[in-house]
Amino acid sequence: MNEQHPLGPLVRRWSRHSSLTPSDRDAIIALPYVRKTFAKDAYMVREGQRTHECSLLLRGFAYRQKLLSNGSRQIISIHIPTEFVDLQNGILGVADHSVQSLDRCEAAIIPRDALLEIAARRPALRMAMWIDTLIHASIFREWVVNVGRRDARTRVAHLLCELVVRLERIGMGRDGMVDFPLTQEQLADCTGLTAVHTNRTLQSLRKDGLIQLNARSLTVLDWERMREVADFDELYLHQEI
Amino acid sequence: MLRDLLSHSALSEDDRQAVRDLPTRLRKLDPGSYLIREGDVPTHCSVLVSGFAIRLKVTGEGSRQIMAVCIPGDAIDFQNLFLGISDHAIQILTRSVIADIPREPLQELLFKRPAISAAVIHSTLIEASILREWVVNVGRRDARARVAHILCEFAVRLEARELATGEGFELPMTQEQLADATGLTSVHVNRVLKSLETEGLISRRRRYIQFTDWRALQNIGDFSRRYLHMADHDVITQTY
Repeated sequence: MNEQHPLGPLVRRWSRHSSLTPSDRDAIIALPYVRKTFAKDAYMVREGQRTHECSLLLRGFAYRQKLLSNGSRQIISIHIPTEFVDLQNGILGVADHSVQSLDRCEAAIIPRDALLEIAARRPALRMAMWIDTLIHASIFREWVVNVGRRDARTRVAHLLCELVVRLERIGMGRDGMVDFPLTQEQLADCTGLTAVHTNRTLQSLRKDGLIQLNARSLTVLDWERMREVADFDELYLHQEI
Repeated sequence: MLRDLLSHSALSEDDRQAVRDLPTRLRKLDPGSYLIREGDVPTHCSVLVSGFAIRLKVTGEGSRQIMAVCIPGDAIDFQNLFLGISDHAIQILTRSVIADIPREPLQELLFKRPAISAAVIHSTLIEASILREWVVNVGRRDARARVAHILCEFAVRLEARELATGEGFELPMTQEQLADATGLTSVHVNRVLKSLETEGLISRRRRYIQFTDWRALQNIGDFSRRYLHMADHDVITQTY
């Protein structure tokens, strides 16, 4: 039953980093939820909004972003299926940033109180939520480094490496090829660059035979060299747990 | 640490006592020393009792980026309960006292007491929120705004722990470290600090920063304290 259930992938992902009992797993599957489809670029959460729900991404991609008073935008993270895009809003109350869909995506909308309740009653699930939070904090730290201290080429390459590794981890990539949902403008907003600069950087990675990038898919052609160009060490993704 | 947890979460007297009863070992650490280095396997979780520390990473090219400044009361590596290898280094900024807590009793406490673990998770979420703001800061703000923003953040965080008054604070960082926190060069940081001073927004006596126009500084720094999720801003803190 878990195999087919929309929350099954969450059970599988949490089981990888936490030891869940069968009854913990059943408690996840028993969570109330509503399936909701978002069109491309739709807002899933708006900055400043008070939320009483958490969204678990089932299909498609989403991103977190903040708008600055000068009108520019910074994308803070990319979310892939099986991840909560806004677990923190359920606990912190007010959304400190917006979440938008990158492409047509589908989410399971779970009432906050139901999540808080299983967290209160089940230590293993509470810890699993915490581990998710800790891993995301680790990814945010790496993004600070990426935009703070790496040059344009390294930044872009690093982001591409991160996406490939995370997608492969949930079985959404093979042989270095993954779905690639970002436009060049969005890639620029992830890396703190201009779209023009990002475009030039992608060209150079292509020309050097490191990547192949089509409208919807990205392939890393030379993983060893790409890793070096990107200054990429996946330790921060904490794959070991 | 207890005070930090209580700032956003309601804990029963019983829970409070359980936190106080955790076995701890106090250590003094000197500026520049490392609590942990990137790639180390940690054996303890720690709380910064007094003093300041930074989280940092060094890129392949050898440049440093500071990702966070830890202030007294911060749990500095509770993540190590679960994440096996430290993904960054923690360096001591000023003479500090650290309370080491062994992993097992802490883990047990968090397993047995939902309110405490919810409070600890809450702190982690705020830390993550601050990190997101730092991505924005170095990604999309100009040098002036970056430096002004970090000064505002520091002041508000210190004030919330009653470690500074609203008027100013002692900056525990050198200009070089400020540069590493904002993705700038120290020359650039120096120039920005001077210009903020010339314009009457701050005044400086050695490392003491005094706010002479707090409102204007916030505007320049594009600073809004929402991301710090302080109790007086969010009412939903007693949900557990």
